[in-house]
Amino acid sequence: MRLTLRRGLLILAALAGGGLLFAWSGLFNVAASGGHWPITDWFLHWVMRSSVRTQALGIEVPELNEPAMVQRGAGHFAAGCAPCHGAPGQPQSAVVTAMTPPPPALAERIAAWQPNQLFWIVRHGIKYTGMPAWPATGRDDEVWAVVAFLLRLPELDDGTYRRLAFGDGATAHPLPPDTATLERLLPRCNACHGPGRAPATAPALAGQSGPYLAATLAAYAERRRGSGIMQLAADGLTPAAIAELAAYYAGSQAGSPPAAGTDLALLPEGEQIARRGVPASGVPACASCHDAVARYPAYPALAGQTAAYLAGQLALFQSGARGGTAYSHIMAMIASRLDDAQIAAVSAYYASQPPRQRAAALP
Amino acid sequence: MGGTGAERRRAGWRLAWPAGLALAACSGSQSALDPAGSEAERVAQLFWVMLIGTGVIWSLVIGAAVYAARVRPGPHDPAISRRLIHWGGIGLPVLALTALLAYGLQLMPELRAAGDGLKIEVSGEQWWWRVRYQTADGRSIVSANEIRLPAGERVELTLASPDVIHSLWIPNLAGKVDMIPGRVNRLVLEPTRTGNFRGVCAEFCGASHALMAFAVVVVTRPEFEQWLSQEAAAATGASSAELRRGAVLFEQVGCGGCHAIRGTAAAGTIGPDLTHLASRRTLAAGILPNEPAALRRWIAAADTIKPGVRMPSFGMLPAADLDAIVAYLASLE
Repeated sequence: MRLTLRRGLLILAALAGGGLLFAWSGLFNVAASGGHWPITDWFLHWVMRSSVRTQALGIEVPELNEPAMVQRGAGHFAAGCAPCHGAPGQPQSAVVTAMTPPPPALAERIAAWQPNQLFWIVRHGIKYTGMPAWPATGRDDEVWAVVAFLLRLPELDDGTYRRLAFGDGATAHPLPPDTATLERLLPRCNACHGPGRAPATAPALAGQSGPYLAATLAAYAERRRGSGIMQLAADGLTPAAIAELAAYYAGSQAGSPPAAGTDLALLPEGEQIARRGVPASGVPACASCHDAVARYPAYPALAGQTAAYLAGQLALFQSGARGGTAYSHIMAMIASRLDDAQIAAVSAYYASQPPRQRAAALP
Repeated sequence: MGGTGAERRRAGWRLAWPAGLALAACSGSQSALDPAGSEAERVAQLFWVMLIGTGVIWSLVIGAAVYAARVRPGPHDPAISRRLIHWGGIGLPVLALTALLAYGLQLMPELRAAGDGLKIEVSGEQWWWRVRYQTADGRSIVSANEIRLPAGERVELTLASPDVIHSLWIPNLAGKVDMIPGRVNRLVLEPTRTGNFRGVCAEFCGASHALMAFAVVVVTRPEFEQWLSQEAAAATGASSAELRRGAVLFEQVGCGGCHAIRGTAAAGTIGPDLTHLASRRTLAAGILPNEPAALRRWIAAADTIKPGVRMPSFGMLPAADLDAIVAYLASLE
């Protein structure tokens, strides 16, 4: 029988109809309990690996050896990734291993990927698996922190992992009485923001004003400020819990400035920007809002944060990824007038300054 | 055409108002045809002379055309036609234009002559005016968005710009002069009578170019002296608890990062000096009346009043804080 155009079309229509009939009949089994056939499993992974390889082309890898970056990634890994992928000393649960495909235990898989491919997977997630995309856009800095941690993961033992993710258990700031909420929440916060962890792992909160902290937490909880890490941490916080946490950190004694090496050569220019601004480009002195001991409650203190954190936040203001509070447009406008060298200088200057406790202000 | 008398009257108004507008533009605080300065007087005089002259020439030309085409069509005497073309088409324009050029050149030395002593540095910036008075006795006084002049004196303005090209134009006093980044232009003003006038930016300079104006106040010499010494003084201290609260908030909120109020910690040079804000005639570079309600609106929503403005809006401040800051600024006379 000769294959004519008409016969070819009829065959295609019959195949499509048969396929629809098969799908409608329900004979195809979508049960996760059976897993995939080995050939299906191979094919799906082959497609996935090829896709990641191609999609990750051209992603430039930043410096990933910063200890603070690894710690930051570790803290988020413990909260966001370990529940499915397990962690050193924390095997995967029976529930997640019953998924199809089961989330891999990552330690032995990391070597199979390049850092840019890991970035792509963490950033975008993988369709038809349980792997979610990064919850916030514009926060590649956070994704890279997770990648920095993942690259260390294969060599970690139980104790090293726990120290990276939760700190060495240094005593927290003293708790006020009647603190059921705080006792439940603070270990989570202090894993990154606690003494011995901040300001390296995450910004120091002690000594910031209550209204600033509360507005920031609310912006994360209501997803107005983008952060895959903090949106997860602030998820479901009630207004009362936000108020308690804000008051707690506002009342805590500010710690010491970051010890990590400041670039001394940058300090004179940084001090000039902080105290005098850059009038020619319309940049007011940072000190006019951020330095006073009796500063306006909506404004954060900068002294005592790390240069990397401050420079990162200024870059986020420039890209429009930082915002979510009623006051953020001021800083977005000012940050847009700074260039990279000025950002580096002024960040180094504030990192070199000892934090000062805020004092209540108004007459 | 039918219709009631009232309808006809309304129709009449509709026809009349453009003419009325056109006439209204001839007098007022922003009109080159209502001169109050020696240069503007020359400009107005030239305008009227040229308007009448061109009217006469236009009538003659059209008259000749009508005569040739309608009154006496047909061939004309070639010798007379040639003479008419040579004298009327070449000789007369050469004479008229040469006379105008000579008159214009003769005006120049007088208009460009140096001032009598007072100098004012004006810097056009997106979208406001930085003003600094340099007196003959060496005083230097900073102000903004308003220019005060003593009547009957020649005052030299030096014009500059840090960002884009602006142009300073006070139609009642003189012609416009560009403010060009990287160079300093001069303009000498000689107001001939006292009064309130309006100056504008006359060169497109960005989104809010049309919202860049300023008040010009011409007063007598004694009044000017009195005003200048008041302008030179530091701000008077806040006299009540509410005003003191406003002063503290002004500093805390960071206004002093861009604005100066002499006599306080606020020493910013990015935006207008506010030391005597309340004594100015307008707000926001000539676009709002200087009254507390307008000041509050400006601070709360500067970017909607003047799109692209370099000042952030502070509408998110608690109402009580905003009110205190407004009250404080409104007290700075």
